[in-house]
Amino acid sequence: MSTDPQSFLTALRLSDSFLPVGGYTASYGLEQYLNEDRIEDGDDLQALLAAYLRRVVGPCETVALANAHGASTAADLETLLAVDERLHAVTMPQEFRESSTKAGAKLCELLGETAAESGPEGGTDLESAFADTVASDDTPGHYPVVFGVVAERRGLSRLEACLAHAYSFITGLLGAAQRLGRFGHTEIQSVLEALGPTIAETCERHVDDEVTAMASFAPLAEIMGMRHERAGRRLFMS
Amino acid sequence: MGYRDVAKVGLGGPVGSGKTALVKRLVPELVDEGYDVGVIANDIMTQEDADVFRESFADLLPEDLVEGVETGACPHTGIREDPSMNLAAIDEFTERHPDLDVVLIESGGDNLAATFNPELADYFLFVISVAEGEDIPRKRGPGVTQADLLVVNKTDLAPHVDADLDVIEADAGEVRGDDPFVFTNCKDGSGVGSVLEHVEREVLFV
Ligand SMILES: Nc1nc2c(ncn2[C@@H]2O[C@H](COP(=O)(O)OP(=O)(O)OP(=O)(O)O)[C@@H](O)[C@H]2O)c(=O)[nH]1
Ligand SMILES: [Mg+2]
Repeated sequence: MSTDPQSFLTALRLSDSFLPVGGYTASYGLEQYLNEDRIEDGDDLQALLAAYLRRVVGPCETVALANAHGASTAADLETLLAVDERLHAVTMPQEFRESSTKAGAKLCELLGETAAESGPEGGTDLESAFADTVASDDTPGHYPVVFGVVAERRGLSRLEACLAHAYSFITGLLGAAQRLGRFGHTEIQSVLEALGPTIAETCERHVDDEVTAMASFAPLAEIMGMRHERAGRRLFMS
Repeated sequence: MGYRDVAKVGLGGPVGSGKTALVKRLVPELVDEGYDVGVIANDIMTQEDADVFRESFADLLPEDLVEGVETGACPHTGIREDPSMNLAAIDEFTERHPDLDVVLIESGGDNLAATFNPELADYFLFVISVAEGEDIPRKRGPGVTQADLLVVNKTDLAPHVDADLDVIEADAGEVRGDDPFVFTNCKDGSGVGSVLEHVEREVLFV
């Protein structure tokens, strides 16, 4: 683990809901679970989020992120685009893809603009080349892929980047749950605390996976994500 | 003594729907029945607003049981994600008044999405006004669907804004299923008795 203070600050920045990339608009199917009364209490919520970690965040997003991080280290745009394409292919519900690509584009834009102001440094060529490809719609630009690149370029290790991403995914969904259902703040924090080990395990398990291992198996979450498209109540984009 | 030892009733709803008007109606009734009542107003713009409450309840409540809580321009957050400052205010109430029975917490005026954190409010009223449009219930905002009691206020204005109370009633019944809703007119007090009955039955166990 890195102890470089600047990388640590980057990890905090990237996992903070203060980061304006629209994370608060995504529920990744959670709204539909609540619409259909499939989640009654904190235990249900915890079980569901643990399943998201094991079946989606780990085997799909973490694998994509870790490989994007590796491609960034190698300054290998071609591999990066292949990772992005594969994540697009394994993310079934249309709204999941949209939430992820919209946030990815925003993160590219945001860091492009703020980094440009903080000094003309070399070494971000790959980042800007990827950002250009995203901006011209030649690659979907999924959030975990962009995240992997910007985290690597700013000194986070692969595991740190995966942890920061998985943590922010979970806090994003916990926030959504709190806005949609009746969960107390203490209960939400207990769920977060209880999920800590699962977040760490999931990231450790998948951080070294090959890109070809990327796959999801979460049929119910995917069905919820698809039904959400026609839901009577939609406060979230996914 | 702390916030867990007192009944807490939240009042949420859009700006100007009549939350303050309802609190002003409920407090005298509750005091009349012998309850020790505290009142918190959220998202006040200045302490003047809390002073308005203090003034209107001058003969009913001790001054130190009326409090204003600023929520940093985030009314949702103060009652939902992070109610800690409201809970701190209630803790102070209970420290000073160990016999306190119930606290009414008025949320800052908001939209249809604001709900109360169940740790902050044991019972949650969502106040809408017929003047906001007769289609409000069928928009299924979380406030409208999740509140323990939906209060449809300003019935007196219905004819002036072309709002059909029958439509509102049918829609409210549909989106709330078995959960209750009441019509009120805080100007003349009609319907307030029914709100009071729900509150007493559900949180004060009368
Ligand atoms: N005609 C009529 N006017 C009402 C009624 N209830 C409240 N009002 C008026 O509506 C206006 C707003 O009422 P408030 O009680 O201040 O509304 P509020 O929900 O507390 O407003 P905020 O705290 O600013 O969100 C005031 O002028 C009230 O006198 C009612 O039942 N009928
Ligand atoms: Mg008010």
